[in-house]
Amino acid sequence: MYDDDRDALAAEYVLGTLSTDERDQAEALLAIDPGFAEIVRVWERRLGELNVMVEAVEPPAEVWEKIRTEIGSAGPRSAAVAETGLLATVEAAPQTVSFTAPDIAAAMTPESAPVAQFELAPEPELDLPPEPASDLAAQLPQDFDTPVPQDLDETSPVAALASSLLPPELEAPSETPLPPGPSSPMMPPQTKRSADVVYLERGVRRWRGTTVAMGAIAALLAVYIAVAQFAPGLIPLSRQPQPVIATRTQPPGARLVAALQQDPTSPAFFLTVDPQSRTLTVRRVSATPEAGRSYELWLISSKYPNPRSLGLVGDEEFTARPLPANFDVDTVRAASYAISLEPAGGSSTGVPTGPVLFTGKLVESLPGSPS
Amino acid sequence: MLMQTELVWLLGAVAKGDAAAFERLYEATRAKLYGVLLRILGRPALAEEVMQETYLKVWKMADHFDPAIASPITWMVAIARNRAIDIARKRGDVSIEDEPEALEVASEAPPPLARREMTEELKRLLSCLGKLDPEKQRIVLLAYYSGWSRDQLAQKLDIPVNTIKTWLRRSLLEIRECMGSRA
Repeated sequence: MYDDDRDALAAEYVLGTLSTDERDQAEALLAIDPGFAEIVRVWERRLGELNVMVEAVEPPAEVWEKIRTEIGSAGPRSAAVAETGLLATVEAAPQTVSFTAPDIAAAMTPESAPVAQFELAPEPELDLPPEPASDLAAQLPQDFDTPVPQDLDETSPVAALASSLLPPELEAPSETPLPPGPSSPMMPPQTKRSADVVYLERGVRRWRGTTVAMGAIAALLAVYIAVAQFAPGLIPLSRQPQPVIATRTQPPGARLVAALQQDPTSPAFFLTVDPQSRTLTVRRVSATPEAGRSYELWLISSKYPNPRSLGLVGDEEFTARPLPANFDVDTVRAASYAISLEPAGGSSTGVPTGPVLFTGKLVESLPGSPS
Repeated sequence: MLMQTELVWLLGAVAKGDAAAFERLYEATRAKLYGVLLRILGRPALAEEVMQETYLKVWKMADHFDPAIASPITWMVAIARNRAIDIARKRGDVSIEDEPEALEVASEAPPPLARREMTEELKRLLSCLGKLDPEKQRIVLLAYYSGWSRDQLAQKLDIPVNTIKTWLRRSLLEIRECMGSRA
């Protein structure tokens, strides 16, 4: 079939296993056939996930110097770029949304909740078999033959194979140490963390494409916080503790995180809610709280006539606290969340008095069982 | 730590000629790309060269980045890998003795994956990979991580080249079907 042939060509091109002639052919096709180009991009993205497991290695500083010199001589990029690709999505003007208190509950319907999506990436730690895979051939078929409902068990042998093909991870600064959570002791490396991120935006705006289907329950979107994926140092927060959440034995379904962002130029808040340990954590990515004002976090649910305060977001990077006991897990999952800007010390009326800057719904994602 | 959305934003800024954003993007992604390149090329000098070429391309082509199809890091890695494979092929197939012993396992170190974060999509990919025969898994992973050609795979694994070719094609097809058309 022609399509299979094209797909196979694209896949092997991305993989790198084409012969030189085939490679030339693929590159020619790339230049003239946009459909083929798109298939190549799909494979690049699909296989590109494997890069998560490649160890990061700091390049010498001279590399940047040379790049910078070349950039300089290449001249400044033209500002008049065609409205294609990224720019069209970045600059789609968000509506300015501000809610008054009585409007909030009404506004928090699924239809009006702003939507944006990205990849979902929870942050589990794999509980790999402790013994090194010295005899992969023997190890793999056993796990391979027994179908296991736990998706992690399915991936483990392959992951072990993959990691065996990569040298041991360097003790590099890119490691993000697991810290103690708000109410739990330091977790061992095998403990699985879980978090899903929801991308909340001001206004209604849609990124083009890339919806990842999340299964029956999930309604909207997720953004993954890539914790140790890239070199640190750029943002000091990369060293900050992340809340440690579930253990591996917990059912994988309960993972909730929200990313609250005003617009693409403004860094985000990240809200992590773990229904199982009943903790919430707000992480401030941007630095400066407004003087004399406080951010307050609200839970909005049809169960309550008014938004319910979850407390202030502190000035430090992480604000962690237990969920109030009167919220049951289902309410927490289904609720919408908002951050408003209040006078210092928070709203004195029990409902938002200042502008609601960020709104969105938490999305529950299903674990990564292959659908 | 930079998350996906921030990288997307940075790329958008780079597309508009923002040199500061470009530097931030470099800082956030350089180690990952360099690691990938070292795996394939083996030699730091070569890897550095391809780093330069890659980031220059990123600078020039940032406006072609489409968040609908790509994620920033996979887009950038694809650019880097493409060039690296070009170079690796031009060097010609290297004999077994010269290649890093990719099949050997680090016996003392704990599996690196235990300390890593896995994205949902990676888990799905690994799950689909897991449905392949172990041998096929191995050649797919070796091809991706080490950038080996069919000939090198055949030589190293002692399997006829035509078999490698058939297996690769079949494996990739099965991966695609397992992951679904939207993946």
